[in-house]
Amino acid sequence: MKCYKSSSILTTNHHPFFYKQQPISSLPPSSFPSTLSYPTRTRFSSTRIQSRLTHDDPVKQSQDLSFYDLLGVTESVTLPEIKQAYKQLARKYHPDVSPPDRVEEYTDRFIRVQEAYETLSDPRRRVLYDRDLSMGFSFSFSGRRRNRYDEEVVEEKSEWKAKWQTQLSGLRRRSNQKDNNSMSWAARMRRQQQDSC
Amino acid sequence: MAEQEYTVASDSENTAEEKSSSSPSLPEIAVGIDIGTSQCSIAVWNGSQVHILRNTRNQKLIKSFVTFKDEVPAGGVSNQLAHEQEMLTGAAIFNMKRLIGRVDTDPVVHASKNLPFLVQTLDIGVRPFIAALVNNAWRSTTPEEVLAIFLVELRLMAEAQLKRPVRNVVLTVPVSFSRFQLTRIERACAMAGLHVLRLMPEPTAIALLYAQQQQMTTHDNMGSGSERLAVIFNMGAGYCDVAVTATAGGVSQIKALAGSPIGGEDILQNTMRHIAPPNEEASGLEFEEVNRKVFEECERLVVQCLRDARVEVGDIDDVIMVGGCSYIPKVRTIIKNVCKKDEIYKGVNPLEAAVRGAALEGAVTSGIHDPFGSLDLLTIQATPLAVGVRANGNKFIPVIPRNTMVPARKDLFFTTVQDNQKEALIIIYEGEGETVEENHLLGYFKIVGIPPAPKGVPEINVCMDIDASNALRVFAAVLMPGSSTPVVPVIEVRMPTVDDGHGWCAQALNVKYGATLDLITLQRKM
Repeated sequence: MKCYKSSSILTTNHHPFFYKQQPISSLPPSSFPSTLSYPTRTRFSSTRIQSRLTHDDPVKQSQDLSFYDLLGVTESVTLPEIKQAYKQLARKYHPDVSPPDRVEEYTDRFIRVQEAYETLSDPRRRVLYDRDLSMGFSFSFSGRRRNRYDEEVVEEKSEWKAKWQTQLSGLRRRSNQKDNNSMSWAARMRRQQQDSC
Repeated sequence: MAEQEYTVASDSENTAEEKSSSSPSLPEIAVGIDIGTSQCSIAVWNGSQVHILRNTRNQKLIKSFVTFKDEVPAGGVSNQLAHEQEMLTGAAIFNMKRLIGRVDTDPVVHASKNLPFLVQTLDIGVRPFIAALVNNAWRSTTPEEVLAIFLVELRLMAEAQLKRPVRNVVLTVPVSFSRFQLTRIERACAMAGLHVLRLMPEPTAIALLYAQQQQMTTHDNMGSGSERLAVIFNMGAGYCDVAVTATAGGVSQIKALAGSPIGGEDILQNTMRHIAPPNEEASGLEFEEVNRKVFEECERLVVQCLRDARVEVGDIDDVIMVGGCSYIPKVRTIIKNVCKKDEIYKGVNPLEAAVRGAALEGAVTSGIHDPFGSLDLLTIQATPLAVGVRANGNKFIPVIPRNTMVPARKDLFFTTVQDNQKEALIIIYEGEGETVEENHLLGYFKIVGIPPAPKGVPEINVCMDIDASNALRVFAAVLMPGSSTPVVPVIEVRMPTVDDGHGWCAQALNVKYGATLDLITLQRKM
């Protein structure tokens, strides 16, 4: 089965970008919300699923959590504890095991948990993340930020350097712009939607 | 099973046939199938454990071939060869798994040209011409059709034994298969009336079996949280695959995958070519020398996989070796040396592990619950190959790197290379090569309506999304600086879109458009 009628699974008038109201001209381009806004779709669902995401949903609120919050651990957590927390959350949020009616939102959450795990389970990336955290950056979740740790770690590995250089410049641009705007895209979207309601 | 019904659908664009009307209350347990280059097997969860089905000749490992005789082709499930020589008359087609989804410029196809059936290449990047000798005439067929005929036989055999219709399957596939090749496997299944729930990279099926064994033996229900690291080396007749998995509490997290189309067939051919005449004993040294490149590739795959997984050799708990070639002493020595282990894991049968894992996944994905927790399992898959786009001239720019855990969603920004460029080609590739030619083309589409602007100003976002069932979708949006609203509707494309002739459509695009519709990665403007 290849049900490639994504519109039929998505919530009605659910635009892939969640842009419902007026254009947001004040936002810098780095806020392009791709990581958070493209729809997830279950491919083999026998029933058509309509999951409506609400603002007070705990899953959606995860966008404002730090990587530690996402994994449900404290900042003094050890590596084995991080691994254990990740696997426990995978058992809850992985789309293969999540309740059929919540697959889409749980997939979003799982991808975030995964990114938190990838950063915190790598000692070098974790140091960078902790440094930023201690410098008081607002730590709402952001795919941009994770990319930045990727980038710095990758740069240490010279064998990869040439291959990734082109990609890195794009990432660097985005992560730097991100620093100028500490509020996550999701937070801005929520504020905007609340303002317009 | 005297009467045989072949219900292979025509090989056209009708993969979306649906919908089996099985009773909604009782989920059908998907069967697991391991399609091997030389042997296949089929297994199913029987309520308490995995049961491997046997054919009428009481074989669990069924030779993968189809003979074309007169009007009716017959596969190796029901058909018994009068003599092994029958495989060499040209009437039997085999090695489907090596040929499926490959174009006639592929070295693997060229290596197949000395098989007894006809493999004809024109070397222009189209599917090779394949034919079986029937009554002294070459009868054309396709690897998909051959595989479908074989799968129909497997299905009939399973239905007869399980006394129920069999529709849903989990198949194991080589790590190195491109998404295009995966669609060919799905096509063959659709032709055989089978619905693919999952296509599992072979070592990940073994990882799942291992996860179940660990869970059963340690009774570790996330209690200690201790994680076991295993290296899985799987080498059959056609492919060599490696995985590194971290297992705890029934969760198998695939940390890295690596694969290559080398296998026992290559070893056999090398040995026959260099150590002919046959029937003459080859010395061990000679054998190792003529197959040096194969063995080096095995070693390279393991080293690469460990590096990608960021695993230190000292942290490896188990080394699992499966597949027919895992019995070759030289291969065992190589893997033991790389992993610095004296012992190979003994808990799995090297020839049955993959199909057992596939059957477990079949039960898990079918939503079957086991009161004893034997199915309390989860595989977190990783992408075996990077997916990305063509940009910066002829470069392949990965958007989702290889060994990214799935589900995954990542994006990159690109921009125009010409002033007032109104359109851009998004050409999607999969692979590891730095230039696009080294990778598999998956598809392409055009973005139109880019507002007039100097080159480098428009911001084109390409986002890729892989869901838990490995479906890849590509999104593209055009943004202008200072606005985060796409200026034209976002494009969403399910990949792959290429069908036949994918080898040359990229070249055709290049001839037609040159660099006029090119993209480069967006540089930061200070």
